[in-house]
Parts: sequence; structure tokens; C-alpha cells
Amino acid sequence: MMVPVRCFTCGNVVAEHWEEFDERANEGDEDPEKVLDELGVERYCCRRMLVSHRDLVDVVSPYQ
Amino acid sequence: MTEEYDVEFVERGEREARFLVRGVTPGFANGIRRAMLADVPTMAIDTVRFVENSSVMFDEQLALRLGLVPLTTPPEGEFGEDETVTLSIDVEGPATAYSGDLVSNDELVQPADQNVPIIDLKDDQRLEAEADAVVDYGKDHAKHQGGVAVGYRHLQQVEVVGDLPEFEDEESRIVRGVIEDNGELVPTSEFDHDLSNRYPGKEVEVEDVPNAFVFHVETDGSFSVEELVTRAADSIESRATELEDAVQL
Repeated sequence: MMVPVRCFTCGNVVAEHWEEFDERANEGDEDPEKVLDELGVERYCCRRMLVSHRDLVDVVSPYQ
Repeated sequence: MTEEYDVEFVERGEREARFLVRGVTPGFANGIRRAMLADVPTMAIDTVRFVENSSVMFDEQLALRLGLVPLTTPPEGEFGEDETVTLSIDVEGPATAYSGDLVSNDELVQPADQNVPIIDLKDDQRLEAEADAVVDYGKDHAKHQGGVAVGYRHLQQVEVVGDLPEFEDEESRIVRGVIEDNGELVPTSEFDHDLSNRYPGKEVEVEDVPNAFVFHVETDGSFSVEELVTRAADSIESRATELEDAVQL
């Protein structure tokens, strides 16, 4: 639904980078690898948190 | 300990640092690592009272998200075990509630990151809640864990032992961490973790330096790296003293 606040594996706070990542890599056409590097999300455990996330709030909100 | 004990920083930042410790046993190095993860208490939201939550997520889910937001932890001794700090949040949609919207009643305890999205609110949705933050240990819940990805490696010494035979293909030799070359500390990222980049055409030998460990420490923002390491060392000391007192005749 919402992006996880922390990385499941290491506990690093990843959610604060989500909006920029989403804007640049998902909505925009930048290379996700470069965006993550620039955001300072180094480890692959944290990177998969952002890469594999899908926001579902817009999908479920009509069924409230 | 007979060997001289020494700490040297390789990289140093507010939230991330790498430092070399010499003259400690592997057991002690691991003790420090474990203390940083589990025995340094931090502040985190523990109880949430919802006044209104008409968002798409359940109260419990939001409470978990609020709990995981790192809070700045006041100096040691400032807060006791049962003392709480109250934070409140009140956001009305359409808007996104961020960790920065949390209003604390104590200056010392503030969200360490302002941009963590808590919940996306649509039209007519509202989130109003009051939360109590407490001091607790990482061993009880991951949200109280101040250190993130704390680890250490042996310091490795690289020695050139000769030249490679003239027509031999150069093979890459990957090492990670920090190497010591004639007393100089070099992070392996400087030569892309490949020794054949640093010593082209040379035959090298890599050896662990006994009792020297390179720690890599990151914090979640609750406090600085320095604070985390000092508090971890203090916690080991206090537990050792406790043990000594307990077994005394």
C-alpha cells in the first residue's frame, strides 16, 4: 500500500527517498540504478525495497 | 589486553562512518557490534491513540509506520524507562501525512527524518492521532535499533612479493574493505575493489592483520555514529561491572 518505512533486512530508513525515486525513475525516464546511487541507497536490500514497491492507495481508495 | 588499543577513522560522517580498531580480540569486536545493534536504547513511538482515522489503512498499520520513524534520542540519563514523550499528528486530505507533521512536546525528541510518508490522504480523509514515544532497546523491537547495517572486517595487509611472469594474463583480484599498504589505509573503493588495478603486473599477497578490525557503522538518525559507538562501549562496561559485582564473594 504505502512504501515501507524501513528496509526489512537492515533497518535503514528508505521511505524518505520514495517520492523522489518514484518521480524520477517510475514516472520519469531516468535509469533506476543511477537514481538509487544518487539518493545514497547503496545496499541491495534497501534498493529492492524501492524498486519493487507499488503504491496501492489510489487503487483501493474508491472502495472505502 | 596486552596489545595497545587504538582507534583511527577512515571515513567519518554524521550518520555513516568507517573506523579501524587495533588491539582488540575478535570476541570484543563482535561484542561492540552486538551492543550497537541491541543494547543502545533509542526513542520510538510505542502507543498511538487515534482520534480520527478515515484513511485507507488500519489504525494498527499506521501505528507500525509511526513507530518505525526514527526520533532523535536525548542524551543518556535524560529520560527514564517509564517516561514518555507525546507527539501528535493532524493532517486533513487531500494531502500526504509526513513524519515532519509530527509535533512533539519535547524539543529533544523530534522526527530525525522529515520526509517519511506516513499515509496518503484523499478528499475528506483525515488522520488525527496522539502518540507516546518511549526509550527501549533494539533487542525488544527493531524500531529501537539505533545502528543500521553495523559490521566489521579484518584489516588486510597487501604486500608485493614479485612481478607476474611477462606473458601471463592478469587476473582480477577482488578484495573489499580497507587495505593497509606500508602503514597507509586505503579503502578498496579507491581502486574499484580490484588489486590488479592498484598493482598492475605485480604478484601480491593479502594477509589479515591480527586483531585489527575495520568497522562500518551507520545510524538511523537517532544520534551520531560517535554517540552510538560510545554508548555501546558504555553498555558493555556497565554490564561487565554488573557481572563483576554479582560474582564477588
